[in-house]
Amino acid sequence: MNALNDVLHGIAIKKNGSPAQIAELVGYSQAETAKLCALAVQSGRAVEIDGKFTLTPLARIAIEADYSRIHQDLRRNSDFMAAYEAFERINVKLKGLITDWQTMEVGGQRVANDHSNRSYDMEMINRLAELHEVADRTFGQLVKGVPRLSYYRDRLLQALERAEEGEIEWVSDVRIESYHTLWFELHEDLLRLVGRQRVE
Amino acid sequence: MTQVPSPRVLTLDGSELPDRALIGGKAWSIARMKTFGLPVPPAFVITTEACKDYQRDNALSDALASEIANGILWLEAQTRRTLGTGPRPLLVSVRSGAPISMPGMMDTVLNLGINEDTEALLAAECGSAEFARDTHRRFLDLYASIVLKASALELEAGDEPAAWRAKIAADTGENVPAGVRDQLFATVRAVFDSWNSRRARRYRSHHGISDDLGTAVTIQAMVFGNLDARSGTGVLFSRNPLTGEPLPYGEYLARAQGEDVVSGKHTPEPLSAMSKTNPHALDQLLTACNLLEREGRDVQDIEFTVESGTLYLLQSRSAKRAPHAAARIALDMIEEGLVSPAEALNRITPEQMRILLRPRLATAPGPETPVLAKGEGASPGIGFGVVVSDPEEAETRAHAGEHVILARETTSPNDVHGMIAAHAILTEQGGSTSHAAVVGRALGRPCVVGCGRGTVTALVGRTVTVDGQTGAVYDGRLDIVEPSESDDPLVRTLAILASQHAPVEIHETVPSGAQAHSFDDIDFNDPAALAAEFAKLPKGALVQGAVFAANDGAVAQAIAAGVKGIVTAPRLPALIAAVQAGQDNHGT
Repeated sequence: MNALNDVLHGIAIKKNGSPAQIAELVGYSQAETAKLCALAVQSGRAVEIDGKFTLTPLARIAIEADYSRIHQDLRRNSDFMAAYEAFERINVKLKGLITDWQTMEVGGQRVANDHSNRSYDMEMINRLAELHEVADRTFGQLVKGVPRLSYYRDRLLQALERAEEGEIEWVSDVRIESYHTLWFELHEDLLRLVGRQRVE
Repeated sequence: MTQVPSPRVLTLDGSELPDRALIGGKAWSIARMKTFGLPVPPAFVITTEACKDYQRDNALSDALASEIANGILWLEAQTRRTLGTGPRPLLVSVRSGAPISMPGMMDTVLNLGINEDTEALLAAECGSAEFARDTHRRFLDLYASIVLKASALELEAGDEPAAWRAKIAADTGENVPAGVRDQLFATVRAVFDSWNSRRARRYRSHHGISDDLGTAVTIQAMVFGNLDARSGTGVLFSRNPLTGEPLPYGEYLARAQGEDVVSGKHTPEPLSAMSKTNPHALDQLLTACNLLEREGRDVQDIEFTVESGTLYLLQSRSAKRAPHAAARIALDMIEEGLVSPAEALNRITPEQMRILLRPRLATAPGPETPVLAKGEGASPGIGFGVVVSDPEEAETRAHAGEHVILARETTSPNDVHGMIAAHAILTEQGGSTSHAAVVGRALGRPCVVGCGRGTVTALVGRTVTVDGQTGAVYDGRLDIVEPSESDDPLVRTLAILASQHAPVEIHETVPSGAQAHSFDDIDFNDPAALAAEFAKLPKGALVQGAVFAANDGAVAQAIAAGVKGIVTAPRLPALIAAVQAGQDNHGT
């Protein structure tokens, strides 16, 4: 995978990301990433709005077509593929957990969790931490196949720890790199690596 | 309190209420219920002192092991059952219980005491081989995941216990001990070890809690709600948690264990169903409910089981409640003299008030209102607008001032900007855990998922009203009302009460003749910008901005900056935030 491809992949995952965010994900310096982002814009592969980058529709299709060639070895790596399958199983639990975090059962009905009940929130964050401990072993195996995925592993732990300290928006707020935002990005990244489609 | 025979282990017999620091929160609440004379399954506790011994020696001492064995003997005498053998097997739950609840502590292991022999005895006693087998599976599942830290183990319901044990050994590299006492000791060690888990240590260091407190372990007899026709299990709320109505509200499931209610496999009946089979237990339960609410001075959520006509209370805690119920309960409890106004106002949150004030349909739509689509309501609320299928278009048209509804087959992070711009979100596919549902709830946008194929094409360009609670998509724009102080008595009463307790004045509009400092151009997602703006203010300023209705931190900062008053609409969320900021300042 050449450097431009890496950065295009980073733009695809980060959706409207800054070069700083993309740099951390792909593991290049910020200056190098900014240069490659600019190159992507020049060659019509990306557009820049307010210092943030998005792929053009054609580049999006082109990069997806490229994945199978770039990642053919990885897709034959049975350890990595087993770790990916484990991630998918944990993903089902994570989705259920995020739903339990956002809603709560009151008198037999599901209502929005207004975060007024601290012990309920604590119980949910505790469950998230337990899920994280299980998932972390899988992250370890994924990182063995693709070292740059450690980005997610580190950031997920940071988001979890902020949530544990009481900054509960770090569980699932969509406007920040919350646990759920990062998890979703990791899932998207993995789907591209292994060449699968997301199922709802 | 009988001490059997040393303070490392205490039986909870209700004769006294031991120190919470010694026995931990869980055992303390059991002991407390016992001192009220309420029926609770027999339990004993391994104290935090024993935990300290364990942390020092890094082992369970023989002395402690024999005291635990004595505790089990006491449980056996109380229940006339025996652990690990017949004729009537005793099963126990094992729970961690630190004096202060904290993350990272070990979860509960249930049904310890089941093995091949006791499974058969339990099957005969309950008349259900299936239940006994499932109890066995659930025990092994909890033991494996909690004590042996299995990763993603699935024990299939159809398999034999030997196959489950083999699967656990393969996953964890360890065998489940054959003897139930060895299982018990291993579980106790796992509780003590969890005191030093990464999360527990972090939490203590962050909150300045001493590492020396230690955790207790509560061991309690399991009771069976599925023994016979006079057995069952249920949940009772001391008031209705959905409406706030001051009447007990509960559900009962005959011939069932607690997990059956939670799993949703069976439909519970209203509490009145108990009056046929267990009128005495029902009376006792309602009396206990009243007592626990008065003692706890808050709405209680009580879990209970009836075993052959005998009532047992398993747990009582402050109930979760819907925002509307929270508001009504706060006002009712002040009226009843149960809590002070300051305390009641501290129990409701600005976020609950924001939800309470959300737009709702003026009238419930009748059969004459066409429903264009129906899906699963995934994020409650009402939104109307014209349906668009493209997130860019949604954003552009919303910026131009239009109300839009974003409809997609499914959503992904590529669509989030369109979801933010939309007044409601619809999808053709997916359920309550789908991306659209998660993001819709996170954004507070009404969302209906799984409307079915062809919905997007059918709806594009039409004006619709979306009900994110019921999942209905109505044709056209229905009448919507926003609850306000002028037309909703509950909102009005709360606002008046809160304004008496708020440290600053909160106005809906700028009082005539006054000058307000506007915060509407400040990016309130940027704490530094907000702080800089407050630093500019003279003492006693009047500040104005939508930020104060939306962001509780901004209200607290304004008060800390010494403002005289805040202008924002609606007032109620800011009023509650102001009351609470004021209470925090007084160190309450």
